[in-house]
Amino acid sequence: MSSNCRSGIMVSIFFVFYLTYLFLGALIFSSIERPEEIRLKDELRVLKTNFLNRSCVNSSSLETFLEHVLTANKYGVSILKNASVNTNWDFASSLFFASTLITTVGYGHTTPLSDGGKAFSIVFALLGVPFTMLVLTASVQRLMHLFTYWPMGVCQMKAGWSSRTASKVQFVLLLGVVVVCFFVVPAAIFSAIEQTWTFLDSFYFCFISLCTIGLGDYVPGEQSGQTLRPLYKITVMVYLFVGLMAMLLVLRSFHKAADLHGLTSLFHLPKCEEEEEDQEPIIDSLESSELDREALPHKQLTAEPQTSYNSINR
Amino acid sequence: MRLIGNMVSVWFQIHTTVILSLIYVVYVLAGGAIFWYLEGNQLEENSHIFYIKKEELLQKFSCIDQHAVENFAQKIIWAYKNGFTFKGNRTLNGFWRFSNSAVFSATVVTTLGYGDMTPTTTHGQLFCVLFALVGIPLNVVVLNKFGKFMLSIEQRISDYIGRKINRRKTARVLITGISFLIGMTLFIFIPSYGFHTFENWTYNEGLYFTIITLSTIGFGDYVAGNNPDINYPVCYREVVAAWIFFGLAWLSLVINSCIEILEKTSEYFNQRQLNTLENKTIEETVEEPAPAEPGEEISESKEEPTAPECS
Repeated sequence: MSSNCRSGIMVSIFFVFYLTYLFLGALIFSSIERPEEIRLKDELRVLKTNFLNRSCVNSSSLETFLEHVLTANKYGVSILKNASVNTNWDFASSLFFASTLITTVGYGHTTPLSDGGKAFSIVFALLGVPFTMLVLTASVQRLMHLFTYWPMGVCQMKAGWSSRTASKVQFVLLLGVVVVCFFVVPAAIFSAIEQTWTFLDSFYFCFISLCTIGLGDYVPGEQSGQTLRPLYKITVMVYLFVGLMAMLLVLRSFHKAADLHGLTSLFHLPKCEEEEEDQEPIIDSLESSELDREALPHKQLTAEPQTSYNSINR
Repeated sequence: MRLIGNMVSVWFQIHTTVILSLIYVVYVLAGGAIFWYLEGNQLEENSHIFYIKKEELLQKFSCIDQHAVENFAQKIIWAYKNGFTFKGNRTLNGFWRFSNSAVFSATVVTTLGYGDMTPTTTHGQLFCVLFALVGIPLNVVVLNKFGKFMLSIEQRISDYIGRKINRRKTARVLITGISFLIGMTLFIFIPSYGFHTFENWTYNEGLYFTIITLSTIGFGDYVAGNNPDINYPVCYREVVAAWIFFGLAWLSLVINSCIEILEKTSEYFNQRQLNTLENKTIEETVEEPAPAEPGEEISESKEEPTAPECS
């Protein structure tokens, strides 16, 4: 019963902390962004009055016109006369859209406008999101052997480190590699290809996409006159998938390391259940133990019952 | 012989992963093709309409030139994206009031990312990244705990009823089914209807918004509580926020339950496969840790350690 109580208290503490975190974040966002916004608002008001004063257009026609402009913008129609209209729905872009849908990134720069499109999105997502999670978890399980267990085993054998040290070292190394390969290098590439993006903008984009937040303020391949646009979009799509796998891998490694350091039980969090391999020095040879043999078939399908960092998003 | 058994199962695993990935790729390609078919025409139709309107305006008011109009319209589009409206004399306050900022932090942390509001300053973006780094794992942990908590309540109810009618398995199935239906109604159907009422969307649009939000896709083409022309009831946005939170927790519960069911089924089939493999080779049988039915014994013993809230 006392474990029950403690668990309940932990939940409440987490929840309160969560709310506080949200509110603090709100305060800080507000204080950073508001002044800029006020300045721009004034600028625009001046612009509108100037426009109306100069021209013979009356206010209501202007507003009707503006409504049309905004609606058209939703449809991806550009106001500029000679702009090459980048269609949002050629095959590569539709593919890109489908992938942002089922990875739950959801940029929103293009959204289905027809009723059929919306209905299909719902169906496609209902099946696709769990499917994505399945594929990601299955792949990451295999990758864990290659990137986590095997290096840890090697470290323990060769250098004689304890499993805790090995896990720490492995996690930090993996994190470094992932940050360079999936954040720094792609950010450099994006800032070179996209003319209006700085390196920081690209880094921000990579981060927002790989966390599946997908705000949509930066979307690659949307500038007019983009060369090789279909290829570009498909490459970005592949980057998204592989990047998500890498993120999940890092997360799992972190979970493992936290487990070995006793942090998960401290916070009443579920353990990283890679079954019986935990008890032994981590060796990944098939010939070794009977335990190994019985453990293998159990890992056939994806996620363990409660490594719940995979709960929704991945 | 044991080695062969090992290698067969490993080959089988790798093989299934490859097959799974192939099916996944096909699924994504098929989706892309279908969207292409459904949406491709919309663009042409609408650009046509728009250009007509633009010509009408230019003809009607001959004093404005093309260039000025285009510049102006560009600014308006950009302003709209940043939360300003110019209808009549009403100007929206812009987005970054405290209440909206709170909603923004919530969309970052739940990875919804509507995108109707985005930080435009460099500091804002930097803070957004840092905020998300801590906030997203925190969110996952909290949601999971809530989901588990709800699951444990459900288990307690089903245990209680199971003991009363002395048939635990049926009680479990029944309660799971009922709670799923209740969850669907409470978190999907009722909110869709609510949005249909309060946001002047059609019911289908409400449903679309509900599902896109609860799956954390969060396009942002529809966002509840953002329409400057509607007078929302008191605490509308707080209720929406609470719905998102509890809906996500419920979804986490559903997903965990599905994964458990899949696990049990796969264990069941694996044991059968293992048994047939062993029966084929003349081999001493490895002592099995548990009887090979997906019976209540396994389910009970599996769930006790996984739900620490259960006493």
